[in-house]
Amino acid sequence: MFYQLKQILSQTTAQYADIRYEILGETRIVFNGKELIHIGTNSSDGFVIRVLKNGGLSSIAFTKLKDASKALKTAEQNACLLSINSKKPVEFAKTEVYKDSFSPVLKEDPRNITIDEKLDLLRKYNDIPLSYEKVITTNIFYNEVIREKFFLNTEGTEIKEDLITTSIGGLITAKEGSLIQNIRVSGGGSTGFSILRNRESEFENRTKILLELLKAEQAKGGIYNVLINQDLAGVFTHEAFGHFSEADLIEDFPSMREKMQIGAVLGIEILNITDDPTIPGQLGFYKYDDEGVLARPVKLMKNGILSGRLHSRRTAAAFKENITGHCVAEDYRYAPIIRMGNIFIEPGDKKLDEMLDSLGNGLYLLDAKGGQTSGENFTFGAQYGYIIKDGKKAKMIRDINISGNLYQTLKNISAVGNDLVFCETGGCGKGQLNIRSCHGGPHILIKELVVGGV
Amino acid sequence: MEELLQIAQKKGCKAEVFFSEGYSDIVSFEDSKLKNIDSKILSGISLRIIKDNKQGFAYTRNLLNKEELVNNALKSLKGGVDGFFEFPLTQNLKNLDTYSPDIEDISNNLLVEECKRLCDTILQKISCQINVTAQKTVNSLRLINTSGTELSVISSSYALTTELVYPYSSASLYRVIAGKSFIKAGDEYINFLTENYGHSLKEVKANSGRMKVIFLPETLYVLMWRLQTAASSNSLYQNISPLAGRIGEKVFDEKFTVFNDPLNDSIPGARAFDDEGVQCRQFPIVEKGIFRNFYYDLYFAERLKTDSTGNGFRASVSSKPSPALRHIYIVPGDKSFSDLIQSIDKGIIVGGALGAHSGNIPNGDFSIGISPAIYVENGNVVGHIKDAMAAGNIYETLTNIIDVENKTYISHGGNCPSILFNEVNVIIK
Repeated sequence: MFYQLKQILSQTTAQYADIRYEILGETRIVFNGKELIHIGTNSSDGFVIRVLKNGGLSSIAFTKLKDASKALKTAEQNACLLSINSKKPVEFAKTEVYKDSFSPVLKEDPRNITIDEKLDLLRKYNDIPLSYEKVITTNIFYNEVIREKFFLNTEGTEIKEDLITTSIGGLITAKEGSLIQNIRVSGGGSTGFSILRNRESEFENRTKILLELLKAEQAKGGIYNVLINQDLAGVFTHEAFGHFSEADLIEDFPSMREKMQIGAVLGIEILNITDDPTIPGQLGFYKYDDEGVLARPVKLMKNGILSGRLHSRRTAAAFKENITGHCVAEDYRYAPIIRMGNIFIEPGDKKLDEMLDSLGNGLYLLDAKGGQTSGENFTFGAQYGYIIKDGKKAKMIRDINISGNLYQTLKNISAVGNDLVFCETGGCGKGQLNIRSCHGGPHILIKELVVGGV
Repeated sequence: MEELLQIAQKKGCKAEVFFSEGYSDIVSFEDSKLKNIDSKILSGISLRIIKDNKQGFAYTRNLLNKEELVNNALKSLKGGVDGFFEFPLTQNLKNLDTYSPDIEDISNNLLVEECKRLCDTILQKISCQINVTAQKTVNSLRLINTSGTELSVISSSYALTTELVYPYSSASLYRVIAGKSFIKAGDEYINFLTENYGHSLKEVKANSGRMKVIFLPETLYVLMWRLQTAASSNSLYQNISPLAGRIGEKVFDEKFTVFNDPLNDSIPGARAFDDEGVQCRQFPIVEKGIFRNFYYDLYFAERLKTDSTGNGFRASVSSKPSPALRHIYIVPGDKSFSDLIQSIDKGIIVGGALGAHSGNIPNGDFSIGISPAIYVENGNVVGHIKDAMAAGNIYETLTNIIDVENKTYISHGGNCPSILFNEVNVIIK
């Protein structure tokens, strides 16, 4: 393969070019209620070329080898157009040249498991919620994505890396009278098929929470002190803070860039945040990013002080900061952009009981249900929660969305738990989808969050 | 493509082949500076087969091995996905004007110049962070099946989005211009952005409560998402639609009429047939507040013993068709946008929505961060509020319409006017 890719790049007149060829294997099985609505394994492939010419950086994605010369020419023309119209030429931070082939260690390679076995496992899990009378439907899927990537650049780097992601998850829906409630269930990761086995209790537990939600009270809009669990803390870290650690998002965003200066005091002293794609076994693991840079951990916040940022080669040069290896694409249809790998709040020393005690009266919110950020402002949903009275769980609440301002919220964190958990499935949609976007955190206590009920 | 059908037929299957091919160029400016020019030349093909009332499906990007594609589809048959429907025979469709050859003459240089011109013009009026993207796309589709259907369409589109960003947030006021070919952004477009942004730049404080709220064409999708979910035959079949059994019932305000409007070829994306070869047609979803129709693809139409409404669309070649409302048209009212603002004593314009995808969508609930929350007092835009959320349920909100704007705009939610609602719950920190 590398020979063919080299042939394509040999035609370039640019000072730098890279090409990534990917074969994408996808297996998907979907149930809607009892009904199997999709099953199949497919393979597709394509190329992305990037060129840096006269200080202009442009990319093109294409699917047919016969279009390679045309694609290269188009990318070079676009790069020239960029260079003519830009005051500041693009530069790439230096990186080492690598020649490597890397496949992750798997506990059961999903390619060696028959689709019938995958179907049986999924059907078994899907039947668990459906055995309850009030569960009216499910949307449960098995998803397997195998990216075989070949990366080559004009500096001499040649990397073959495989990324294998398996997950089982979806939505369970129950109804009582006219009230419809749903809950998400998910499991999976980057370590092979075995992580999906023996998950019956997960499906049982989620179904039980769902049935309780049918009896829960609607959240009342207002300002509350809240304790959020690990999943919500992870989503908060990803959505509200993490995205502004991505250099490409703030590069041409003067007002955010002004606030996100390295050394700025943003949080309280007990707050430490790291992104580390090199943690073995986590969902967000990879060895090299999609511009051939070796991934490395980045301490983003140390004792409340902004201490690092995630970079591509372009932004590392523009910000005059170290390269980090965080430039990742969804697949062969996209040029890479800056992405978080495994982002997490480092654990503190508080136990859950202690945190509930110090909350006193407020809300305990659990599990994320989508999140979004817009500059300083973020909004995300919680799947369920409890009213806390005198440190004790009272009624369950449903239909919860929380909203806030990043900087205020970072300063309003009053305690960090000792119980770090990473998520098993991801789906960050920053222009393209990153199914390996992984976040984690311990329980955290936040003062004065806006909670929107209905 | 024909060869694929033959191979599948030889294996005793009914079959459908869907082919998509296209290219696009996208130019983006951030903070008035040219940031990116990216291109794509993508194609793909998918095959759906039916044998013994079971469905199989497969896709690929490079049709290097036709047998392999058919075999993948045959393998997926074994799973046992029901396929009781027939591939339709569709012929003699109305010819739609979906392609403007002028699109081929739009160079990336022209896109750059137009973005630059917009930034310069706006900066002469107001100082702010401006992000602009301009995109041109040409796409062709072809669909054939063993019932004898042979359909194809080529479409062109041009879209430009200008965002004026509020300081310290990526909250922005934005608007889209879209056409089948290049359209120069005019004064009205620029003035809408600069005037409303300028007047709302100041941060102001307000109290929580029920108030009048305008959803712009750009943010109405928050409510339409819930309506689309409820009106989908998929929700009806799964027994989760609050609209089940309510055809003919007045559910919403009489000022609210929504059409499925795929045949309007004055705007980009018109379609005479859907992604499974069923004829598309115009029909009301809601007419003067009365719920009129669910929308169907072939699969759910068969399940619910009715006909497809021509709403079977695919997210990409790698997915099977499913019921989708791709061509929403909300019928305009009789008030101008400034009339809408003038009728607000105290209220908010939802300039952007955060978290539209969370909350209990099948139930019709929404709970969004408003970003920006443009504040209106005594008929004038006076500033914007930080940390505001709007929450409600469409079965209440859509019964509380004060007025609908007299003009529609194309946004990702469809072809919609602004709508002024009464008594929306707004929570402000």
